[in-house]
Parts: sequence; C-alpha cells; structure tokens
Amino acid sequence: MKVLSPKGEQLELLTVNMGPSHPATHGTLRILCALDGETVTAAMCEMGYLHRGFEKMVEQGTYTQVLPYTDRLNYCSAMMNNIGFCKAAEKMFGVTVPERCVTIRVILNELSRIIDHLVCIGANLVDLGALTNFWYFFNPRESVYKIWEKLCGARLTNTVTRIGGMYRDVYPGFSDDVRKVLSEIEGAIKDVRGLIEHNKVFLDRTRDVCVVSKEDAISWGWTGPTLRASGVDHDLRKQDPYYGYENYTFDTVIGTTGDTYDRIMVRMFEMLESISITRQGLDRLKPGPLNADDVRLSLPSHDAVYHDMEALINSFKLIYEGVRPPAGQCYDATEAANGELGFLIISDGGTNPYRIKVRPPCFTQFAAFGSMIEGTLIADAFATLGSINIIAGELDR
Amino acid sequence: MSTPSRAEPVAVAATPVDLSVRLTADALLEIVAARFGLVRDPADRWDLTVRCSADQLRDVVQFLRDDVRLRMDMLLDIAGVDYLSYPDHREERFAVVYLFKSLAFNHRLALKVMVDETDAQVPSIHDLFKIADWHERETWDQFGIVFSGHPNLKRLLNHHEFVGHPLRKDYPVQKRQKLSVNDPMLDQLVLRLRQNGYTVLEST
Amino acid sequence: MVFKPVPPLPVTAEVNLGDAYITTTVDAVVNWGRRNSLWPFPFGTACCAIEFMGMVSSHFDVSRFGAELVRFSPRQADLLIIAGTVTYKQAPVLRRIYEQMADPKWVISAGACATSGGFYDCYCTVPGIDEIIPVDIYIAGCPPRPEAFLEAIVQLQAKIDGESVKEAKKVGV
Repeated sequence: MKVLSPKGEQLELLTVNMGPSHPATHGTLRILCALDGETVTAAMCEMGYLHRGFEKMVEQGTYTQVLPYTDRLNYCSAMMNNIGFCKAAEKMFGVTVPERCVTIRVILNELSRIIDHLVCIGANLVDLGALTNFWYFFNPRESVYKIWEKLCGARLTNTVTRIGGMYRDVYPGFSDDVRKVLSEIEGAIKDVRGLIEHNKVFLDRTRDVCVVSKEDAISWGWTGPTLRASGVDHDLRKQDPYYGYENYTFDTVIGTTGDTYDRIMVRMFEMLESISITRQGLDRLKPGPLNADDVRLSLPSHDAVYHDMEALINSFKLIYEGVRPPAGQCYDATEAANGELGFLIISDGGTNPYRIKVRPPCFTQFAAFGSMIEGTLIADAFATLGSINIIAGELDR
Repeated sequence: MSTPSRAEPVAVAATPVDLSVRLTADALLEIVAARFGLVRDPADRWDLTVRCSADQLRDVVQFLRDDVRLRMDMLLDIAGVDYLSYPDHREERFAVVYLFKSLAFNHRLALKVMVDETDAQVPSIHDLFKIADWHERETWDQFGIVFSGHPNLKRLLNHHEFVGHPLRKDYPVQKRQKLSVNDPMLDQLVLRLRQNGYTVLEST
Repeated sequence: MVFKPVPPLPVTAEVNLGDAYITTTVDAVVNWGRRNSLWPFPFGTACCAIEFMGMVSSHFDVSRFGAELVRFSPRQADLLIIAGTVTYKQAPVLRRIYEQMADPKWVISAGACATSGGFYDCYCTVPGIDEIIPVDIYIAGCPPRPEAFLEAIVQLQAKIDGESVKEAKKVGV
C-alpha cells in the first residue's frame, strides 16, 4: 500500500499477514503488519482463534468440574492453574488447607513453573534458529511428565488439586524422583546456557531488541517475568505471600533493560530459583492430613459413609452437587509462570459457578505486542514473540 | 566473540517488604468515600469492592491511579457480569468490575459499575491504562456493553461475523455460528498507520 | 551379435491397468516411499500440540518412522496433523491450508477436541474437524500420549500400504 511517512516521503509498504497458522506464532495468533522493507511500521494483532468458551462452559457444571477446564488454560504448566483456582475457591469458604497440602502444592507449583519456562525458552530459541536447546530442554520435561503420571495419571492436563485439598497424596518415592529430576534440569540449564550465553548471534538478536520501559510495562498491566525483566521488583510470592512462600529463601530475578535478552534470561534464572524452592519444599514435607477437614468440602471416609447416616448424605451431596461456596464475589491470584493468574468467582450460593472470569497473564503481554514491535525489524518481532510466552489456551480461554 | 559488556539480569536479595504500609480495606474505603461518596458493594465479603456510577468512573479511576496514598498503578482486569438469572437481583442487569492493584503499596481494590440493559454504556478508560483497550473490547464482545470513547471497539475473542454476545445468560451455550471468511483486518491496519503518523494514499 | 530392434511399448497401457504385476510393483514402491517419508504439517492449536512436540522430541522420536521433517508450509507437507481445538474462527484457515496441500495428502485428527470438539460443547468450537475436511486417522485422548500419536502414524502407514496408484485420490474440494 502506498503511504506518506511522517517525514513526508512516499513509501510502498508491504502488508504481511503472519498467522494464525504459523510456525513461530506458538499457537493461534495473528499479526498483520505493514512493512517498510524489513521494518514494521504498523502491526495489528488478532487473537481469539482458540477461544473455547471457558467462561461459558464452567457455568454449566459444578465447581469441581471447573478444574479440568483450568488445566487447559496454560497447558504448559497445568497444575498452576489448578492451584490458582482452588486457592480462590478456598478463599470463599474461608478454609485453610493443611500444612502437607500446602507444601505439596508449592512443590508442584514450582516444578510446573520450571517446565513452563523450559517450553518458553526452548521454543523461543527454536525461533532464533537454535534447535538443539529445544531437545535439551524437552528431555527433563519428559522426566517431569513421568513424575506427573505416577502422581495423578496424566502427563499434561493433571487436575491434581481439589477444592479443599488434593486429588491424592504423593506416592512413595516422590521426593527421590523429584530430586533426581531437579539435577537433570540443572544439567540441561547448564548445557543451554553454555550454548547461548556467549553466542554472538544470540546476543545480537536479543540485546536491545524491543525494549519495554517500566512505565509502559505497568500501564500495559504486565506481571510476572516480563515485568521483572523491565526492572520492576514485583513478585506475588514476595509482595502478597501465600502458601508459606515468605518462609522460603529465594531471590527475585530482575532485568536491567527490558529487552528480549532480559526476558529470556530472567526466566532462565527463575528456574534456578524455583529449583531451590522445590528442594526446600521437599525438605519440609512432613506426614500429616492432606485435605481440609471441612464437611462442606471433603468427602468423608469410607468407613464413615458405611456406618453413619450423616456422612452418607454428605458424601452423596458432595458427589452429586459438588461444593457450594457462599454467595458473593471473590478475587484471588497466584504467581503463575507468566505472571498474576487471577480468578474472579461470582457465586449465587448454588452448585454451579455463576460467573468465573480468568485474569490471564499473557493477555496483557499480547495486547502490548503490536506497539512493541513497531519500529523494529520483522526478525526481531519473532524473537520477541517467543520471549513474552503467549499460551493461546490462556490468552483466548 | 564479544563477551557481555553490561549487567546480566541479577538475582537480587529479597527486598524486605513492609506489609504494614499496605492500607487496610477500611482505610481505603474511607479515602474513596471521603472523596467521592462511594459505598462498599455488599456482594464482596472477602475483598474490597466499591460501587461507582458510570459518570464518576473516569474521575475515580484517575484518582485511584494518581493519589499518593493509593497509587493504584495497575489495572488487572475488567470483567463483565450479567445478573439476569441471579437470584433476588433487583438492580441493573449488567455490571462491569474493574480490578486495581498498587505495585508500591500492594493494596487492591475492585470497582463495580452497574450498567442498565437498555443503555449499556460506560466511559472508556483506555487513555488512563493502556491495557483497558483490549479488556474493554473483550467485555463488549462477550456482553455487549459499549465503552464510549473507545478507538476500536471490535470483536476480540469471537469472529467478526458473530451475532450476539455469548456470555449473556440468554445466549444458548450450544448455539454455534459459522464463519465464512476471516476478517482481512486491513481497515484496522490503516487506522493504526494513521495513528502512527502515516498518511495512507492507497490501501490495497 | 545381431542387434534386434526392441518392439514399441503398447500405447494403451494406461487406461485399464487392472491388477497386473506391474501395477502391484509400482504400488509397493510408491507406497513404501510415501509411508516412510511422511512430512507432517503440525496444525497445532492447543494442548495436543505440546504432546506432538513431545512425540517429535528425542524421547519418543518420530524420526524412526521417517516423519520427523515437520514442514510449516502446506505446499511441502503431505500429512496434516490437527492437534488441538479448532474454533469457528480458525475453521476457514484450516480449510484453506488443507486445500493448499498437494496430493497425496493425509489427515490425522489428534485429540478429543479435533475429533469431536472435546468437552467444549459451546458456541465457538467446531464439533469435530471432519465437518470441514476429510480425516484419515482419529486419535482419542485429552491429550493423547505421544505413543498414541506414533500408533496413529503406524496405522496411517498401514492405510497407505493399502492404497493403489490406479485409484487417484478423490478429494472433495
């Protein structure tokens, strides 16, 4: 298309449509841009190609039936979504889950964060042409998947928590398996860092590319590693601690410039911090009750169901109708792999959720993407797209 | 091979967070009540939600963002709600909930604007928070609440040939709508070019 | 040696081939080539795409079946693997990609969402991609294990073995 640039020169711009089926868009995103040579002059992003109606579907079932839908939000780290939703629902009941459940949730949370960052960085490096790192990062993921399989039967979409506790306890040997996998992950991180950290191609392609200032990042509502890469010290695990995170020793990784390099390396170092938290969690894991002892939430024991009328009715009601939070509106958030994952739950006191709004962390990143890439080269656009970790399941719900 | 010449992302020691700086819900309520006469929303028994009218919205949001005691610099989410089938609901049909957070003080506040069905309009705050642009588009897409002053109120999640607003309670969940042709989106690109200072002579 | 001229080949050999020795040999060779060098086009939309990536990775290694060369251009691929939910917004895109692929082409519908819409029975999800394109193999699972993907490739290879050059693939375009 023919345009007059702000400087007054006549240009012939090329309209390029990238997506929604594109190797580097990591799912179903579409970016329509006008190129002046290789420079992006204007970019419009379109999403919604994976809009599956999460918010409408959850209104059709019970609160427990929401959990499989939450798995499929950020499917790279499904357990974090489960834990986030259960935390919000448990807030409505005013119930605190037991110590053992909290510790297990922290371990699973951090391991899920690690595997999410592994996918993000691996896929981002594939876009830059560094394919080997993808294999290096996917191997420990397979080991983690084996642990997930032993734990709850599913590799990817786990549905491992329940409102008030967990689906089931960890299996004997869980701690040893996790420790082994943590050293595997450390080895993979070391390999990949060795390949990219001093690699001129990687540095030139990611340094000072698509810099996002602190003010912009905050105005765009960014949270998580991308916000921290822009230099803002904000982590829900520190600022708004939950599940005992205030008692764990870990650092917040902050970037200096807010470019693509920072966004990638912040995730890399965050993985090391998460490994440390997981080890601390495993050390703290003590025997104890797993589920909250609350008749509104937990199924009574088998013995009680067979011998006690009230327990039988309770079990019947819980299985057929699910849990019933008190009527009202509640918002709660956790620090997911991409940032603040929040659930706004509106309940009418019935068995079905009245309204659940998910606050997806990568929505804010993709909303900013169009303006981020304007003025940069098209090749930089893809290096950046990988660094903001768009997961379409979460973005479009 | 050049070695990195500037600081790497650093792992900083935990900055001790002084949670005592955070204002309690009552203190927050007092500040906004004193300034605008806002009241607490009865539905929220766990966090602080204040009711606000559509006319006051922009002033309240600006105040929340700029006041030195509040500094709610992050808009987390804009959620639409349809109270059509809510038991014992006597007020307007729709509501728009704005979730705010302060990065400096770590307090949170939710703002709820009730919206009438017949005149479903709320002023847009896209100039105050950049992310409001897409959140408002999504709320319009799913509920049909118009955000006046929005530069590009187009569908975000559903396709451009979709008729209706699916998250409304009277939209049947299984009513599918096929799409014949994807939106070429060239008009939006031209709009964006104009915003960036380009004059489009001939758009193909 | 006296040179004897070679008689010319019959010109009408093409029209009714029948199950002659020559066609079965051609079938065997062509099918062997096609089944062992499937080039997948991963139309990955959602969670199943992650399991697809797992299949392509070194642990499950689809390379043993000759199908590791993923090609993101429909012109260069012959196996379209739809892994993930297809929404109505995405449907014209899928149709177009299928039409752009050259013959011979096969389609694997991976996962519950691609096969039937999964548990997203709502206003935006296509209830199974066979509403849009013809499918050769369906994989059940949510998401299916990488071994299930490999089983689908093996079954597709068996299906290809049963094809014949004399039946040009009629695709409903």
